[in-house]
This record gives sequence, C-alpha cells and structure tokens, in this order.
Amino acid sequence: MNISYNWLKEIIDIDLSPEELGHKLTFSGIEVESVKKTGDLLNSIIIAEIIEKEKHPEADKLSVCMVFDGDNTHQVVCGAPNCAKGQKIAFAPIGTEFPDLKLKKVKLRGVESHGMICSERELGLSDEHDGILVLPEYTKIGKNLDSVLGISDTIYEVEITPNRPDLLGMVGIARDLSAQLGLELREDFNIKQPTSQISTENDKNLSSDFCVEILETELCTRYIAARIKGVSVKASPQWLIDKLNIAEIKPINNVVDITNYVMYKYGHPLHAFDSNNVKGNKIIVRKSHPKEVFPALDNNIYSLTGNELVIADTEKTIALAGVIGGKNSHITEDTTDIILEAACFNSSLTRKTSSSLKIYTDSSYRFERGMAEKTCEIISSEATELILKLAGGALATEMIDVYPNHQKRQIIALRPERARKLLAIDISDLEIVGYMERLGLKKIQITSPNPTTDAENNNILHFEIPEFRIDLLKEIDLIEEIIRLHGFEKVKSSPEVQNIMNTGVFYTRRGIKNVFMNNGFFEAVNISFSDPIYLDMLNLAEDDNRRDTVKILNPQGESFSIMRSTLLPGLLKNTLLNLNHGADSIKLFELNKVFFEHGRGKDDTEKTDDLNKSHLPFRNEGGKNKKSKLSEKWRLTGVMAGKYNPIYWKEKIEDVSFYDVKGMFDGSLLGYIGIKNIDIVPTSEPFYLPNNGFSMIQKDAVLGSFGRLDKKVLQKFDIDCDVYVFDFDFDKIMEIADFEFSKFKEIPKYPIVYRDLSFIISEEYRINDVIKTIVAVNPKIIQFVTPFDQFKGKQIPEGFRSLSINISLVSETKTLTDEQIKNIMNSIINRLYDKFKIEMR
Amino acid sequence: MKDKFQEIIKKATIDIENVQSFHELNNLKSRFTGKKSEIKDFMKYLSSMTPEERPAFGKMVNDTLEEIGKLLEEAEQRLQENDYEKTIKSSQFDYTMPGRPVLRGGKHPLTLVQEQIEDVMISMGFQVAEGFDIEDDYHNFDALNTPKDHPSRNLADTFYVVKNHDEDLLLRTHTSPAQIRVMEKYKPPIKIISPGRAYRNDKFDPTHSPVFHQCEGLVVDEGISFKDLRDTIDILLKKMFGKGCKSRFRPHFFPFTEPSAEVDVSCFNCAGKGCSTCKNSGWIELFGAGMVHPNVFDMVGIDSEKYTGFAFGCGIDRIAMLKFHIPDIRMLFENDIRFLQQFTFSR
Repeated sequence: MNISYNWLKEIIDIDLSPEELGHKLTFSGIEVESVKKTGDLLNSIIIAEIIEKEKHPEADKLSVCMVFDGDNTHQVVCGAPNCAKGQKIAFAPIGTEFPDLKLKKVKLRGVESHGMICSERELGLSDEHDGILVLPEYTKIGKNLDSVLGISDTIYEVEITPNRPDLLGMVGIARDLSAQLGLELREDFNIKQPTSQISTENDKNLSSDFCVEILETELCTRYIAARIKGVSVKASPQWLIDKLNIAEIKPINNVVDITNYVMYKYGHPLHAFDSNNVKGNKIIVRKSHPKEVFPALDNNIYSLTGNELVIADTEKTIALAGVIGGKNSHITEDTTDIILEAACFNSSLTRKTSSSLKIYTDSSYRFERGMAEKTCEIISSEATELILKLAGGALATEMIDVYPNHQKRQIIALRPERARKLLAIDISDLEIVGYMERLGLKKIQITSPNPTTDAENNNILHFEIPEFRIDLLKEIDLIEEIIRLHGFEKVKSSPEVQNIMNTGVFYTRRGIKNVFMNNGFFEAVNISFSDPIYLDMLNLAEDDNRRDTVKILNPQGESFSIMRSTLLPGLLKNTLLNLNHGADSIKLFELNKVFFEHGRGKDDTEKTDDLNKSHLPFRNEGGKNKKSKLSEKWRLTGVMAGKYNPIYWKEKIEDVSFYDVKGMFDGSLLGYIGIKNIDIVPTSEPFYLPNNGFSMIQKDAVLGSFGRLDKKVLQKFDIDCDVYVFDFDFDKIMEIADFEFSKFKEIPKYPIVYRDLSFIISEEYRINDVIKTIVAVNPKIIQFVTPFDQFKGKQIPEGFRSLSINISLVSETKTLTDEQIKNIMNSIINRLYDKFKIEMR
Repeated sequence: MKDKFQEIIKKATIDIENVQSFHELNNLKSRFTGKKSEIKDFMKYLSSMTPEERPAFGKMVNDTLEEIGKLLEEAEQRLQENDYEKTIKSSQFDYTMPGRPVLRGGKHPLTLVQEQIEDVMISMGFQVAEGFDIEDDYHNFDALNTPKDHPSRNLADTFYVVKNHDEDLLLRTHTSPAQIRVMEKYKPPIKIISPGRAYRNDKFDPTHSPVFHQCEGLVVDEGISFKDLRDTIDILLKKMFGKGCKSRFRPHFFPFTEPSAEVDVSCFNCAGKGCSTCKNSGWIELFGAGMVHPNVFDMVGIDSEKYTGFAFGCGIDRIAMLKFHIPDIRMLFENDIRFLQQFTFSR
C-alpha cells in the first residue's frame, strides 16, 4: 500500500522528516519497502521576475524576456501570450530535468534562450497550458517553487501484515503512528461526523418503500444504504485526483472517485449503484443462484455457483458482495440518483469468491482481511457528505442501516506481571495503561467476583478494545502491542558467548579422520608410553628434539619409560602385528598427541606454545605450571604397506607405491583444509630410504614428511616388506589451514575443450616445471594440465622418458574456435621445445 | 501406368520385408524414394501430360511414396525391436560376481564413542575443551580439593614425571583438571565437556590399562541444580543407549563434588533383566558425578554463593567395551585390522 507523507500530515501533526517517519513506520511494524519522492522538479524551479520584455525580432508570437532570479539575470525566449514585465514567474534554469527532457541552452529563431518560463502543465500542476504560471505579486524571488507551493511529497510503499486490516487506510496508519508517537489525531475519526449539513429531501416517491433486506445475516453483518438524488456525475476536482494518484487508483468520475477516496482514507471499501437500475426499490443481500450469470464491472461475465454472496435487486444480481460491482448498475455520466453502500461482508467467503472467480480488487483485498462493522457508519456519512458537496444532489431519506447484531466491544484482561515476565522489561502498570490508551483501548474497572490471595494474579487490568482492532483477541495480543510501542531495543540482550571451543580445529580433526577412513585407512590408537630404544631404531640424531622426551619417574618397565615423541614406532609395531596375522593390505593412521621436554635441543619453546593455542583453549597459562617447558603437540602419522587396492576380478591388484602416499596429501587432504602453495623437497628425516623421503613445506614451515621407509630401519622392526609412511605436524597444518568459507566462482558458461600432447623429454626435467610452463602460455584459458601416461625403455633413448599430457582449455567469454585452440597448442609446443628440448611423438 | 506403380510397390514390399540391417534399410530407402528412384524418374512424364491428367498422376506418385514410406517405417521399427531383443539376449551375465569394491576404512571404536558423546553434548549447547595429559599436582589434586595425604597421590597409583624443574608434574589421573583450567580462564556461564586421556598406575589386564580415556563434563551458572545434572546425564544416556535407558544415582564420595554420586545405567544388553554384561544385577556403573564443591569454586575464584555447578565423568573405553561387547581392554590398543574393521559405524 502507498502512504503519502503529506496526506498523513493532514490527519496527524507529525513533526518528523520523511526519513524519520519512514524509520518510525518500519519499526512500528509497518515495513517500508520503498520510498518515492514526488515533486522534485518543483525544487529545481526558481521563482523569478520578468524585468524586461521585448518582442522577438524574427517571430511575432515570441518575446524575449530578461528574467532576474535574485542573483543573476537570464535571457529567455518565451512564447506565452500572457507574459509581461514585472510578473513573478516559475523559471526553469538550464539543466532542469523535466520528466521527458533535460533543459539545454537553445537558439530560437536566432536568439539564445537560457532557460524556460513554465506553464502549470509543464510543472505537472495541472493541464493548464494557455499561458505561463503567474505567481502573486508578493511572492519572493530567488526561492524554489516548492517552498511556496509545498506540494512535493514522499510516498512510502509499505507492507501491511495480514493481521492488521485496520492499517489498510491512511487514518489507520495515522492512528497507529499517533500511538507510536504519543500524538493526537487532528480529529477523532472513530466518531461519525455530524450530519447536520446533510440536507434531507423527503421525496415521497423515493422514500416510501425503499428497503434493504439481508438474507444472510451471518455473511453480511451490517449494511448501510444512503440514497442521493440529483447528482451530476462529472470529473473530480484536482485535489481528489491527486489523492487517488497516491493510491494509484484510476480516477473515473466524482462519485466513484469519492468512494475510492473514502476507502483509501479509512481502509474500508464502499460501492455506489445507479439507483435507476436497481429495480423493485429494494437491495437484497443473498446467496447467488446456481448458474446465475453476472456481468461485472471488469467487462467479464461470470457464472456463479450459488455459493457467492451477492447484492441484488428484485430482478438481478447487481454486485458480488465485497468483490466487484455490476455492469448493470454502475455509475455512468447519465446517472442522477445513487445508492451508496457501506457494508461488512464475511472475510472467508470474500476470499473464496475472489479466488475462485480470480477477481482481485482493492475491495476484496480489504474485505478478505476483515472489516469492522463500526466503520460503516463513519465512511457512509463522510462519503455522502462529499458527494453532496462535489456532485450536488440531496439525501433522499435518512440512511438505511441494517445492523441486526450490534458488534460489542471486546474486553481483554491483561496481567501486567505476565507482560513484564514474558518480555523481560521493566515497565510500570501506568506505562502499560498509557500505551493501551494511546492505541484507543479503554481501561475499565471490573472487580473479580472471587479475589484470590495471590497478589500477582489479582493485579489484572481490563481493556475495552476499539472495534477497528479486530486482531486483538487475547492477552498475548496486548502484550505484543506493549513491546511494539515500547520498542524491541528496550529488551536488554547481552548473552554471554563462550568461545572456549576452537570449532575449526575440532571439526577439521574429525574431517581429516573421515578423509582417511574414506580412503581405506583404519584409525589406530596407541598408548602414550614408549621405549627410548625406538628412537635409536629410527636413526634419530643425538640432537633431534624427539630425543627430548618426558620421562616417567615410576614407569612400568623400560618399554613404558618415556612419553612418546613420535607416533611412528607404535604404528610400525601395529604393522608388524598385522603382517604376522597375514594382513595383505595395511593402511593405518593415528592422530594423537606427542610430548616433548624442552630442556635442550633446537626447538623453540616460545613458538611451540603459540602454536598449541591454535587448538587448545588454554596452554600453560593461568595455572601454576606457567613456566613449564613441557609441550604436547598433535601429530598425524600413518603407514601403508602391502596391496593398495582390494582384490577385484576386473582389475590388476597393485602394491602400495610412493604415489599412493603422496596422493593422500597433495590430493585429498591438503585440498580439504585449504592449504595451497606446497613445495616438495628432499627430506632430512633419517628413517627414509635415501632419495625416497620428502618434506612438504610451505614457505619456511615444514608441514611434515612422507616417503618410503629405509629397509634398514624396517629390519630393526622385523618388517620385511616395503612400508610407506607419512608423518605430519598437525598443529602446524592447523596453523596455516584456511577455515574461511569458500567463495563461489562462476561456472564456465562455455564448453571445455581437451587436448592431448605426447612428447619425449629428458629425465632431468620435472613434470611440475613442465606444467607451470604450459599454464604460463595462457593462464586465463588453460585450466588443468594433467599427465596421463609416462614410459621409458623401448624406442625411448636412454635418459629420456615419454610423457602424455592432457590439457583442458576454456574461456570465460566465448566458445574457443579451432583456430584459437590450434594457436594456443602451437605456442605450448614451441615453449616446451625452447625450454625442455622436447620431441613430439 | 497404374500397373507400373503397383509393380514398384510389390517389389518394394518383398525387398523391405527381407531387410536385415539398418544399413540395408537405408539403401532401400534411397532406392525406392530417393532422388534417383524409379518413382522420381516418372516425374519426367509429367511435362508431356495434359493439365487434366496431371493431378491424378501426381496423386498416384504421392500415394505410392506414402505406401513405401509406411513399409520402410514398419521395417525400421521391426529392426529396432530385433535390436532391443538382441541386447537383452546377449546381456546374460553372472550378476553374482562381486561389484567394484569401495575402499573401506574406519575410525577407532574409541573415536566413535567419543564423537557420539561430543555430538550429544554439543547438541545440548556444550563446548568441547581439551586439557593437558601432563599436569601439575595443583590442577590434578589440590585445586580439586584432594587432601595432601590422599592415597591416590601415591606412586602406586599415579605416574610422576622425572623432575627437571621446580614443579611436580604427573600424568593426570582423570580429566577433571580440565575443569579447573577452564574455570581459571573463563567466567560463568560455563558449559563444557573435556574428553581426553588419563593415566593410572594399573597393570594391563582384561579390564585395566595404565592409559585410558575419559570424558569430563562441567556446568557452572546461576541456579544450576542437582536436577540439571540428572537431566543432562539422562539425556546423554538415552541418546547413547536408547530411549528406554534408565539411570539411578547412588551416594558416593569424590573430593571435588558434594553431594557426590555414582550413576548406574540400566543394562542395555538385557534391559535390566540380568546378564553377564551387568553381572546379573541389571545395572552398569558408568558415571561419577556431583555438584561442584564450594572449595573448588573458591580455589578458582568463582563466587560459590552466586554460582552453582555440576560435574560428571565417564570412561570412554568402558562405554566402548560395553557398547561393542569388547571383552578385553587391551584389544583397543593393539590396532589389529581384523578388530578395527568391525567398527566402521557407531549408530
């Protein structure tokens, strides 16, 4: 619904800027969805004076005026017959933006014109275009036009929630604002206007036998008919059209426009019939007849079913109650006598009728949300009065008001203590009563027949609910109103958020276990005690920090005498046990703690402590072992031995290889935790077979190592098969892991193209360098470079290998042509030839 | 002329009926209806005909083409049907041969149980905080209101670390020191669990291990009551062992809680009827619990008048053994794949 700032100001004296008002509306539950300013044009029009006027030398009908705007004088060519020296006029300077053009300096018949003197039509004020707008003599020059006219407006498009049909009109909105702001409305719109000015003509012909009969009193709870005779139907005055423009309702004629205006003002629809087309001097509210045909105002003919509520005369249906009027009885230019309907129709039936016939009108929109019976009398008298004023005529008789069961005002009991408890706000009974009264609720005194001793329950306030608030039914509805007016921001909320847990590390640890599990690994758990001899068996150097072990004072024997500083020995023992039990494939990992005593060695204790903070909530702080030089670190270690894949009759079974252990990291794991830019370099770890162990590093940080264990080490553990291991510093990985959510990247719109290359290359070159070189040819288009075959031997010279590479290409902006692909591939081949002396196969 | 058309149709009918492949069919199609077909050739007569004759002739050409078209279509359908039948017949295979195996690993049963406890507790708003394995005796004993001469401090019960520093360090005998560390660092409200390792100087046997796993729970806030403790433990038990699971609290002693209780859970193996798992009692002892002792609050500087709290602890190894019917605790630390592969899922 559209709300006009100016219109609101007519109803309530608000002292808020349009911006403040918009904010106020939204935070009182009337959500402003968009704001539109009108009349901006008038702000750029300047009031000026014509200080000189001469005839145009080349054109009879044009004059050349000198216009003074208070600061400067402008030469303007004007075609209006009424312009004269000394007039105060509306001057549009160069640059003014009219709805359809921006004003520029022009030459008219050889004379320059620096601006325009405007007519009312050009200003959007009216259709008047016979001459320029001449302002009163006393108007001050130099100001903008709107400061004098004051017609620029702000239109809010608001969303009215379905529980508040009372807000479907300007008065309802103003009423709610008055409660919000604690302001009185300019008049009491809840009382029928005095009808003293309504002249009554007691025409016998009209008055004697006209009546309204409601056959469905459940579905139509009130019907007021006012009959006005002798109206002249014509166009509405400008102010009325302006109002309808706000509502975006098309002006039709004065009578219809008045019904729409009053509807928009009060939120309650009305309808006017041409009295001469209502036969039998009778309005009947009844159910439709099955298969009855009804010609509606929308120029469609509807076939009714017998379930709709209709307004009828003695012969025919003249309106679908609350939905749409009939073509057979609507107001035309020839109409002289009218019947004005203000009624209340059942909301659910209105909804049913409207949706089954697919007729959606301003009227059905309101009736299906529920209208108050009380409002009928208010709108009926206001509309009548307006019609008499704008269309003439006379009221034929007193209004007919059929109102079988008077709507009683609801009374709701409110326990202030319950409101305070539920809302957790500190608010006095007095304040509560104040809010209720501002909403139009009346506090009434009811003494409970059996008072209890419970003081809290005895404090009950009773309120009489105004008719238009059909949404207020229970205590909780009043409590909602209290907080709505009091403001949600008054509910103090400062929850204690405990950030004890490092969820990133916690769930990554789990996730990593899942990655291993889904790649065929079983999780091992070994006890923390270890035997120092293992450190020798792993070839650890004298100054290796893993020899700085935490020693147990009272161990259960030498083999349990230290806290483990590496997970590897435990896993190798597990490997041996499983080999001895005939296991043909062993994939084990352990993610667990290792312990160090930093009495000596090369490790930097300070740094270690920082690191550990990444996943422990507290570390050597707060407690008494502040100066402890012990550290506990998480390690991720694993072993792979025997067959890689399970036996499968369609496939060759392969033994675990170097690339299987490598794949766990550069494939699944590091991608999972968002670690990029890893370099792989030969390791200094002493337990790998020479040339077979590698470290993964990022910048200077060593994340861990992987590779094939030294046969001599394995011998010491009694293992006589190849074992591949990995051993990672989990804390370090967590330190550099990226826990941010990934951001969506545009999916390529154009097809990906794949091309293969096979060539012979010297073994001295690494594939990584080859890939980098290829991508560098066109990083925007070359997506992936994946080797898919390699071989040596036969046909390949000694010291060379044959490589096959798959390259995927895609462009973000177009489908690649064969020509473009060919060019890129040629550049790749040339580049590879220059750099690696490849020989294409 | 009409006869000629009839003859073509006849010839086409025979040829098309005998067609055996899509290739042959295509050939026939162009032979009978293509640009160089006999019928199309007839069109040359059109020019020598009178305007009156032309329509009838044109209709004959069209009818013939249509007739042949129909035959071709039927033949195509027949071939497709044959093809389909052939596919079905030829795809006889031994569906009992194994499908492609999926790589299958698994988490350790201790992890499965720990994750289940964590998930239940996190769903109740708890946070997970871990402590140290190597503790000082202040956090392991003093701060937990354990007297200096308490027997649990003996070398026969507690592992101590070789003293290289000023402090007495030990391997924590329970996960409770984590409570102290959390309370030292964070203000109430506190709602945490702390799973981890604990160490006691027991020899390995089927039910004992010098290294085992516990999960500690701690809640500190205003108005925390014994009922909250019961509710929390009951929810955890029901989520772990099923809705029908009951608990009973027996008075007990722990230095750091008062009142203290041991919690028995109705045997989830026999539903309380009595079996070997519960040693015919119908109940299994599973938790130690109680309200945080005011002395403990005093040690960490939490106002014991304003705040109350509860704490509980349980053995993860014990729950895993009961849940998975594992007869010997040592199996948990051998990492025999034949053992590990039995516990891929927990629920």
